[in-house]
This record gives sequence, structure tokens and C-alpha cells, in this order.
Amino acid sequence: MRAFEFYAARDASDAVALLAQHGPKVKVLAGGTDLLADLKFAAASHHPHVVVDISRADDLRGIEMIDQGLRIGALVTHTEIMSSPIIREQLPALVDAAHTIGAVQTRNLGTLGGNLVTAVPSMDSGPTLVALDAIVTIAGPDGKRQVPITQFWTGPRKTILKTSEILVDVIIPKENVGKPTHFLKFGLRKGQALALVNVAASFHVNGNTFKAPRIGLGAVAPTVVTAPSAEGFLEGKPITPENMAEAGKLAVNDAKPINDFRASATYRRDLIAVLTRRALEGAYELHMKRKAK
Amino acid sequence: MVSVSLTINGEKRDAEVPSETTLLKLLRESFNLTGAKLGCDVGDCGACTVIVDGKLVNSCLMLAGQADGRDVLTIEGLATADNLHPIQRVFEEKGSLQCGFCGPGVIMSAKWLLDQTPNPSVPEIRDALSGNLCRCTGYTKMIEAIQTIARDRATQ
Repeated sequence: MRAFEFYAARDASDAVALLAQHGPKVKVLAGGTDLLADLKFAAASHHPHVVVDISRADDLRGIEMIDQGLRIGALVTHTEIMSSPIIREQLPALVDAAHTIGAVQTRNLGTLGGNLVTAVPSMDSGPTLVALDAIVTIAGPDGKRQVPITQFWTGPRKTILKTSEILVDVIIPKENVGKPTHFLKFGLRKGQALALVNVAASFHVNGNTFKAPRIGLGAVAPTVVTAPSAEGFLEGKPITPENMAEAGKLAVNDAKPINDFRASATYRRDLIAVLTRRALEGAYELHMKRKAK
Repeated sequence: MVSVSLTINGEKRDAEVPSETTLLKLLRESFNLTGAKLGCDVGDCGACTVIVDGKLVNSCLMLAGQADGRDVLTIEGLATADNLHPIQRVFEEKGSLQCGFCGPGVIMSAKWLLDQTPNPSVPEIRDALSGNLCRCTGYTKMIEAIQTIARDRATQ
């Protein structure tokens, strides 16, 4: 690893101040699972002069209900998501998504914020948060701002974060805490695999019809995306296996998968249709299971 | 340079190292604790696994500066001068390791698992070992060893 200056931030505002002082050749260190690999193996041109460690900024931690909804701090690890009682009860899809990331060691280090900021299109945290209309809070020298998560990413490994800004937390809006949601990932093996396709689906059940259906698709476009044609089709329709299958087929049109060494675009398109249908079925199963209690 | 002061296997240790030093490098080169191994260096293989503040982590993915003030347990902290740790003893009896390079990491993962889940199921054991790559054994004898340790503890 090349030399860099290392600063540990006390809290979020200290981190922002350090970034403003040292930018733009500065990198933010949280869990380190992506950054350390980059520091060791990325091209010299990408190498930072300064690393700001935010891993001790306690105001970036915590999982709690606030007025706006469920707040998950950017530094919350994947393991903490898996063991959070409120998330296990209300949003088990987030637990399933976290469980598919890396292995115990990397889930103990890696953070939700890091997964989102790294902005790899196959990130496993993305689809569920997209399907729940999550909002992200960003802090910078001029204060805080919030944006819908779909506007946070601008391309592979690109976000709207400016040099001296950091991600503070992710908020699941109050009306979506408890919304039936299901996450599915398809990789080439069970352990430590990148997703060929990952999908999350959520909807409220209104009588026997879909209300506010949302679908998040990962690894099939430059960023995690929604599936507006499938969502538009489902809104207000009866909850039937046929409608779920049709939504799966429509979701294919909302994605732009690529050919690469892991899979062909054609294979990924087939996966989108099947996984979207199954994710919708899974969300409905969760609804029925809760109703039976 | 960063100054780090941390507890390793119950002992207070201090060092001053370049900022880019990983915890793994600190352990191996500053303190001569060479049990944790350098394998892939990107967090895939688990050969560098240690326990920091009770959490199983890849020491290759943590900077020394991040370990300042923390409590680190490495494979060297398990055995005493007279006895192997029970996990090490059962791994030896069962022939759970062949070349042994992955062993320190695997045993730390096994210790962490058994601390959390005293009677783990096979899927739980597989999940706990999924961050430790072994290219010799196929894992079967490791899983059997971990089940044996859990049974031994339950009957004690």
C-alpha cells in the first residue's frame, strides 16, 4: 500500500471538516472491506493522499424509529442489520439481503453506508431499499440534505456525494416500515458470490389488490433501478399468480443487463422475470404469514 | 505514522507504524504474531481472521490505526503453555487440517461461532466458515470437529 495521511474523525461534522480541509484526493474509510482492497490494488492515479477514518463516529451508528421512519445509521454493519430486533420483525427482507453479503468477517466490518456509497450495481443492500422508497441523508459543509435513494447513484461506482460530503443515514419512510417485502439474489455459488441479478419486491395489500407495488433490480443496469412498467401494471390489480408472472416479464423491459464473464444478458433477462415473480410471491407469503398470527 | 496502543491476547502493546499498515501486518511484523496469515489480502480467504472487540474480522481489511484502543484476540491467545485450546485439540485429533495454512483463521471462526452459538447446526457451521477458504480438506472434518466440541461442552 502507498503512503497516505490518516485522520480519525470524532463524529460526522468532524469528518466533513476533515474532508473539506483535505479534498479532493481524500478517501473516506468506514468498514474498509472495499476501500482497503482498492488502496492495495487500484491504479496509482486513484490513490488518495489522505484517508479519513469515520469508523469511530458514533453519531453515524444506530437503528431506531424516528418521526420520519426507521433510521439506519450509515455505519451500521451488515451483521447489526441481521441481528436488529426491529428489522427482523418489520423488514426481514433487509436481513436476508444483508446475509447474502460476503461472509461473517466482512459482514462484521462492512457497513450499509459503505455498500451504498461504493455504488457497485450488484450491491445487495440496494434493491430492498429501493423497493421501500428509502431516503438517504447526506451531510456536507452547508448542512444536511435528503434525497430518494434512487437519485443517490449516478452510475457504476458513482454517487451524487461531493468531495466533502458523507452519507449519514438511510431512512425507511414510516408508512413502509412493515410493508411486505422480499429479497432474492441469484449468484453462481452460495458463499461470497456477486449477484448475477438481485431483486426486491414490496407492496401493501389492499383487499385483494396490489397497493404501492415497488420493485428494485440490481446488477442489471448502471445503478440499482426500479421497474416502473411492472409497478404500473400491478397497481390496483388483483393479487394473482398470473399478475405476478406478468409483472416479472414486464420488469425485464426496465433493465439493461450486460454480457460479461459471469453471465449473458439473455440469461440475466430470464432471471429478472423469474426472480421478480418469486419476490412478489415471497412478499405475499410474508403478508399471509403475518395475517395468520 | 500512527501510534497505536491496543490489547493483544490480554497484553497491552504499543507501536508506531506507517499509516498504511494493516492490523495483519502490525501483528505479524511489529509483534511477531505470525499465526494470522497473509492470503488473498482482500478479505476473501479468511487466513488473516482474528477477533477484535468480540467480532470476527479480516485483519487484512483493518488499518492499524483503526485497531487503536481495541482488544484483539489471535490464534496465539488460545493455547496455554501446557495445553492446546480444546478446539485446537479436537481439530488435531480429527485430522481436520492438512497443510494448515487456513487453520488459524478457521479455528478463530470456530471459536467465535461456539461463543455465539453453543450448539450450532450444520448450516450454521457452514455459514460461519464461509469466509474461510480451505483448498485441502473439503471442510467435512472441520464441521465434524466443531460438532464434537459442541457435544463435549454440552456433556461437561
